[in-house]
Formats: sequence, structure tokens, C-alpha cells
Amino acid sequence: MGDIFKVFNMMAWFPENVSTFGAELDNLFGVIYYLSVVIFFLTFGIMGYFLIKYRHKEGRKGYNYHGNNIVELTWTILPTILFAGLGLYTDSAWAETKYSHKVPVADVEILVLGKQFGWYAMYPGADGKFGRNAYTDRSARHLMSTTNPFGIDSTDEAGMDDFVTENQFKIPVNSNVVVRGSSIDVLHSFFLPHMRVKQDVIPGLWMKIWFNAFKTGNYELACAELCGGGHYSMRAEYEILSKSGYDKWLDQKNSDVKQLRMMSAGTTEPAPIVEESHPASH
Amino acid sequence: MSETSVVTPDSGTMDVGHHDHHELPWYRKYLFSTDHKVIAKQFMIAALFFMFVGGAFALFIRWQLAYPGKPIPVIGSILPASWVTEPMSGVITPEFFTQLLTMHGSVMIFLVIIPLAAGMFGNFCIPLMIGTDDMALPRLNMWSFWLVPPAGLIMMAGFYTETGYAAAGWTSYPPLSALTGLPVFTISGQTLWLIALFMIGFSSIMGAVNYVTTIMNKRAKGMKLFDMPLTVWALFITAIIITLGTPVLAAALTMLFMDNFLHTSFFLPDSLVTSSHYAGGGQPVLWQHIFWFYSHPAVYIMILPLMGVVSDVLATFSRKPIYGYKAMVFALSGIAFLGFIVWGHHMFQSGMNPLLGTTFVLSTIVIAVPSSIKVFNWLGTLWRGDIRFTSAMLSGLAFVSMFIIGGLSGVFMASAAVDIFIHDTYFIVAHIHYVLFGGSLFGIFAGIYYWFPKMYGRMLNETWGRRHLFWTFIAFNCTFFPMHVLGLAGHMRRIYDPNVYDFLKGLSGLNEFITISAIVLGFAQLILVANIFHSLIWGKKAGRNPWNANTLEWAAPEHPGHGNFDTDITVYRGPYEFCVEGRELDYWPQWEPGESISVHHHTIAVSKEESENKVFGAH
Ligand code: HEM
Ligand SMILES: [Cu+2]
Ligand SMILES: [Cu+2]
Repeated sequence: MGDIFKVFNMMAWFPENVSTFGAELDNLFGVIYYLSVVIFFLTFGIMGYFLIKYRHKEGRKGYNYHGNNIVELTWTILPTILFAGLGLYTDSAWAETKYSHKVPVADVEILVLGKQFGWYAMYPGADGKFGRNAYTDRSARHLMSTTNPFGIDSTDEAGMDDFVTENQFKIPVNSNVVVRGSSIDVLHSFFLPHMRVKQDVIPGLWMKIWFNAFKTGNYELACAELCGGGHYSMRAEYEILSKSGYDKWLDQKNSDVKQLRMMSAGTTEPAPIVEESHPASH
Repeated sequence: MSETSVVTPDSGTMDVGHHDHHELPWYRKYLFSTDHKVIAKQFMIAALFFMFVGGAFALFIRWQLAYPGKPIPVIGSILPASWVTEPMSGVITPEFFTQLLTMHGSVMIFLVIIPLAAGMFGNFCIPLMIGTDDMALPRLNMWSFWLVPPAGLIMMAGFYTETGYAAAGWTSYPPLSALTGLPVFTISGQTLWLIALFMIGFSSIMGAVNYVTTIMNKRAKGMKLFDMPLTVWALFITAIIITLGTPVLAAALTMLFMDNFLHTSFFLPDSLVTSSHYAGGGQPVLWQHIFWFYSHPAVYIMILPLMGVVSDVLATFSRKPIYGYKAMVFALSGIAFLGFIVWGHHMFQSGMNPLLGTTFVLSTIVIAVPSSIKVFNWLGTLWRGDIRFTSAMLSGLAFVSMFIIGGLSGVFMASAAVDIFIHDTYFIVAHIHYVLFGGSLFGIFAGIYYWFPKMYGRMLNETWGRRHLFWTFIAFNCTFFPMHVLGLAGHMRRIYDPNVYDFLKGLSGLNEFITISAIVLGFAQLILVANIFHSLIWGKKAGRNPWNANTLEWAAPEHPGHGNFDTDITVYRGPYEFCVEGRELDYWPQWEPGESISVHHHTIAVSKEESENKVFGAH
């Protein structure tokens, strides 16, 4: 029995929230939910009452009445105010999370690419700057290939320390993470359920996505846009690290990259994939 | 109308006026008939057939979600090898799963709901309810039906292509739908899907042009526009939406067809790593704009006719005038107009400029207003009624109540901020089904229970009708309400196996419950089919006007033949004069002569002299 009521306690079903703006979004859902519950009981109550009270009985006669303009006007204006108010009320949260001029200054910048069926993430490396690639320079898009999905121009010094992870990424806690998302094939959707983030990524465009986690831990990235048979398996993991843990990881990666670069000196290899996992294939 | 009597196409029991003197060969009577009633029945039979096909697809989907990796019972071992992971394993592949969900959506929307809502009711109701013998353009009408079965077959023929059925969802977003991986000029399931949809769109347009022409030109003597029943109004407005919207879909389909079949790049950008032989330079999001510019109005194509049907059913069985008849007409028009400026609410997370998101929030939220006006007027219609709980009425009430829930879930998604989390989750799936199954399909049931007597001259069995509706209503809610919850937990739609994700691990019980309910829901529909067949043969004779209703179709003979009416029809009043003061009977058909006056929104019957002397000071 308790289980049945749990189904109606909608707010309890949200996955844990780790995002700074997540609580606000969840609360907006709650506002509409409680409003809906009121409207639901009101309309269903009235309907139930009428159905019982005015059910056919011997001698009962319908009331020939065609309606009343004042009543009509009332139930036009009231919902208009209510719904329009609701729309305006929720708009600031929308602006804050999605408007591109509201995206905060990035503490960490990552490029993310969706592919059938997985995710790449690219970090700017030790210099904190991306080299020439399909994101920083549109004309580098022709360099994109299955082995070099980000279209990295390997002749650019600034890009020598950029590195790529596959099906996982790491971010620091309490930092503004700005992700530029795109795709190498079809549409995907960058969905971080615990971060209350969802943004379709489109081949040929770079979407600006941001979030800020207030808690460390391991969470999941899913694809929310049908992208083919393997859509369901487009799972990746991300870890929210403490600031020092994140720095340590970055240092580790940076030296890994240096080493890899040294070994392949002179060749024109794209950014090495330094870490990958296939969490979906179990 | 002449009094020549001929054997009528499908009854033989009733003789009605007819201009043709020679008998038609059988295939002109039953197959290539131009009689609007025969065409309506053809739409009904074809669509009910496709409903079972689409339903079977849905049960496959549900089985996989509740029991991922377990073989499908009973028929698992006889499934074609290309559908299953290993021969005879009975476990469907992820690729086939995406084909299933694509075909389920496409079949239900384009081959079931639209043909029933617009095709069947449009054809059956319009000429009868405006008191005329047939459509203005009967031959066009015939072709509007005869494009549908071939379109259905073409869509199904996707099975025989190399890639199987179309697999990009009913919304078919490119690049996925454009990139088949096949050489140029090679037909894929997606190509066939595009061709089929094009044909269905063509059929819709032919029907719609006909509806508008017929309503504008062929109303019975005395029938003003505001004497038309709401069913006719709704179909009229729907037809206008179709004529304005469907050509846009045709344009989109043509472009996608070229991308898919001729390898052009309308929707393909130039950095597709895995498909680099395309010229590129296109824009994938463009498809979404054009598609939703049609498909949002299309969701109203799927529900407006049923709003009309339910209004008529509610008025008849409450024995009351519809509350706010003109407000209802204005609300329908408002929905139709606003429907064309809200498409972006499907694209909040698509990468469209978020500033546009804000605009579309406002327009979308505003469209909830005419929807609520309709609900309030339906409730007002029940108020102080004399309510008869027939099967038709019960379906109508189910429509109203489920539409309330579907409309409310719409408000969540209409807020772009709230939509971030629930977009592309099961919350959307719940919404769709509350409006399209809970709404449209219950409305269709209402219409079938209501007009079956006029279609076939026999009553449907009321007891079995109630059983059908009871089980459908319970199973429907058990199937679709929990989907809101899945969505809130973050369960993405269109995924093959939720168990891949840790955050979805706790939901398998709910998924199982939904699947069991869905199976019950599917089987409950057999009651309707059995009832239809049983009543066709053994049903009680209906008589002319079994529900004591007011609208003109009930003036026609028990089982009207070609030409419909056996008397001259003149319209004397609006369609909803129930329980008029000064009358013995609790209804007052539109075709019955008699004078009345209107005092403070009440209608009062008066004698001729009284009305001439204006003794009541009518205004
Ligand atoms: C109060 C009125 C309504 C509002 C505010 C509303 C709002 C919305 C919104 C915002 C979406 C997009 C959600 C998303 O993808 O994130 C949506 C989806 C949808 N709505 Fe409604 N809706 C309403 C009524 C209806 C009605 C009456 C129908 C059909 C009869 C309908 C059919 C659909 C369908 C089929 C989809 C899903 C399309 C897909 O597959 O993505 N809606 N609705
Ligand atoms: Cu995907
Ligand atoms: Cu819409």
C-alpha cells in the first residue's frame, strides 16, 4: 500500500541532485506539481460531484441553460493569469541555466563529442588552452576523423598538451565547468541526470553547456536522444573530485601526455586518449 | 430529392432517394465506393486493423523493458532471425527495438489516430450532420481513403529492406534518418517510411479540402454556421489546420527523402566523420523546425475532432445544451491558431537559441488557456444535467478526465526550465499517451459507441461496452501513470535496456508493473472488436434516433443508404436544445419546426402567435 502512495509522491523520485542550480529546477517542478494536484482535485471533485448529484433519476430534467459570458470571461482570464505567471516565474531559471551570455566564467573548460555510441572529452592540458582544432577554428573541421574526432591540428604547439578521455571525464567540485558539446555523426543529447543538465549536441555546431557541482562522487552521463541501435549503451561515467584531487589527476594526465608525446616524437599523432573505459559493455 | 428507390449500397433495408438508376457493381459499392459512409467504415476498419498491429509492436517494446534479455513468450521462437539476438533465442536486438518503437509511434499516429479522428469521423459525420446527401467531391473522397492502405503496406514493407523498418523514431530526426549507410538510390526502411507518410499526408489534404468545401457549400436549408454541432465545427477547423500544415510536412519529407535516397545534404552538416561522402552544408535542426511546425498542429488534428465528438456526446447524455457553445467554437479556433506558433516547445533542448525558448514558453502556456476553457465548459455541461451513463457517455467522461491529466503534464514541459530534466524521458511518453490514448482514443470510442447505430443500424451491446471501458480505463491508468514517475527518475525514452544505468536500477519493478498492465490493456480491446462483430449480427435494431438526440444525422433512416435522407431537411434551431421549457419531450431536434424565444440564456418554446407578438419581451 505504501508503495502505491509512493508513486504519487513525485518529488521523491528525482535522482540525487549535485548541481548548484538543480534545487531551483526541482523546486519549480514542485510548484507546478502542487498546483496541478490542486487543479486535479478541484476538477475531478467537481466532476465527480456533478456525476453523482445529477445522475438520471425518475422525474429529473436537464436545465436548459446556454452559458454565461461573465462566467466564460472569468475562466478565460484566471487561467491566463495563472499560466502566464507560471511561465514568467520559471523563466529566470531557464535564462540562468541556458542563455549563453549568462554562462559564468569557466574554471574548467572541456570539449565533449558524442559518437555512435560513446563520448569523448578533451581537456586543454597543462597550458590551459586548446590548440587549433575543430572547435577553436572552424576551418580545422576537415581534420576530423574517427581517429582524430576533435580535428586536432598536430602542427600547433598549443595543442601538444591537449588530451582526450573516452567514456569518462573528471571535474572539480565547486567550480564552473563549461562544456562545449558536439557530435561527429548524428544527434545525441548530453544528459547528466544528477546535474539536471540536458542539451542535445549537433554535428557541425558547438553547444555551450555549464554546471557547477557542490558535491564529490561518481555519477553517470547518458545519451537522451535516439541515435541508433546502441543508443541505450551510450553511457559514460564522470567523477566529481575535490579541487586538490582534480589538480593531482590533471598533473598526472599532463605528465602522461608528455611521455606519450616524447615516445611518438616527430609523428603527427592526434591527441592521445589517455584514459578510457567501457562501462556500458557489461 | 427524388423518390426513386434503389437497393442501397450496404443495407438493402432502407430505401432512400437516389439519383442513380442503375445498380452499381459490387466493387463500386464496397471497395471503390464514393459514398461517404462506406468510406468512413473503410477508414474505421483499416485503422482498427492497424491499431492491433501497432499494439503488438508496443507489447514487444514493453516486454523488453520489463524483462530485458528474456525471451519473448509464446512467439519468441518463431520470430524472424533478423529480429533476435541469436536464432530462436526469442530476445530482440537493440536495432529491432528501435524499429519497433519507430513503427509503433508512426502506425498509431498516422495510420490509427489521424485516419480515425479526421478520416472516419470527418467522413461519417459531416454530410449527415449538416443534412446533405454526400461530400461535395465524392471521388476525391474515395481517393483519400485509397491512399491509406497502400501507404500502410509500404511502411510495413520496410521489413524487406536491408536495414529493416525505419528506426529513427516517429519524429525521424536527421542525421540518423538521413544516413542509412547504404549506397545512393538504395531503398531503406526509412525511405519507405518517408514515401508512406507523404501518401498519408496527401490523403489528409484531399479529405480536408473536401470537408471545407462541403461545410461551406452544402449545409441544409436554414443551417447557419452557428447552428452546426461542435463535431462539425471541430472537423471544419481541423480541416483548415490540415490544409495549412500538411503541405509543410510534405516539403520536409521531400527534403529528407532526397537526403536519404539521393544523398543530398539539406539536413547534413559538413563534419560528419563517419559519412564524409556527403556534400554537407545543411542543418539538422532545420528538420525539427519544419517537422514540428506541422506536427504540433498535427497533435491537434488528432484531438480537435474528438473534442467535438465528446461535446456532442456530453450534451446528449446530460440532456442539456452545451455550456458556452460559442466559447467552445472560439476555443477550438484559438487552439488551432496558437497551435501554429508553439512548435518550438519540442525543441527547448535541441540547441535552438534559448531566447527563442522563452518565447515558445509563453505561446505554449497560453495554449493551455483554450484547453482549460473547454474543460470548464464540459463541466458546465454536466452541471444540473440529467446524466445517462451510456457507454458513449462513459468514454466521453474518460476523455475529459484523462485530457485534464494530459493537459496538466503539458504545463510542466511547457516550462523550458522544468523541461530540461524531463525532456526525452518517460514523462513525455506519459504525456503523449494521456492526450492521445486517454484523450483521442477514448474520444474515438465515444464516437464509435455513439454513432455505431447510425453506421450499421444496430446498437452495440451496452454491458460489453461498459466492460470494455472499465478494463481499458483501469489498465490505461496503470500503464501510463507510472510512466510519469519513470520520467522523474530520469528514465530516458527509447532505450533498449535501462539496467545499463546505475541510476535506473530501482525501476525494474515499476517497469514490470507497466508491462503487465499494458498486456491487459491490449487484450481489453478485443472486447470492443467482439462487441462490434456480435452487434453487427445480433445487435438490437437501432431505429432512427435511439439516443433522442437533436442533430441531423438522427433524422436519417435507421441505416441510411446512398443519399442519406428520405425527407427534406430544414434546420430550425441550434443543435443543443434539450429540456426546453414548454415542451413535453426533453429534446428538440434541429429539423423539427417550431418557434422559440431566448430569455436570459434559456430557450422557451412558444406558439407562433406568441413569438410574433413577442409576449415574452424576448431579446
Ligand atoms: C495543455 C495543452 C498541452 C501542452 C501545454 C503541451 C505541451 C507539450 C510540450 C511542451 C511537449 C514537448 C515536451 C518535450 O519533448 O520535452 C509536448 C509533447 C507532446 N505533446 Fe503536448 N501539450 C499539450 C497538449 C497536447 C495534446 C492535446 C496532444 C495530442 C493530442 C499532445 C501531444 C503531444 C505529443 C505527441 C508530444 C510528444 C512528441 C514527441 O514524441 O516528442 N499534447 N507537449
Ligand atoms: Cu543516443
Ligand atoms: Cu507540441
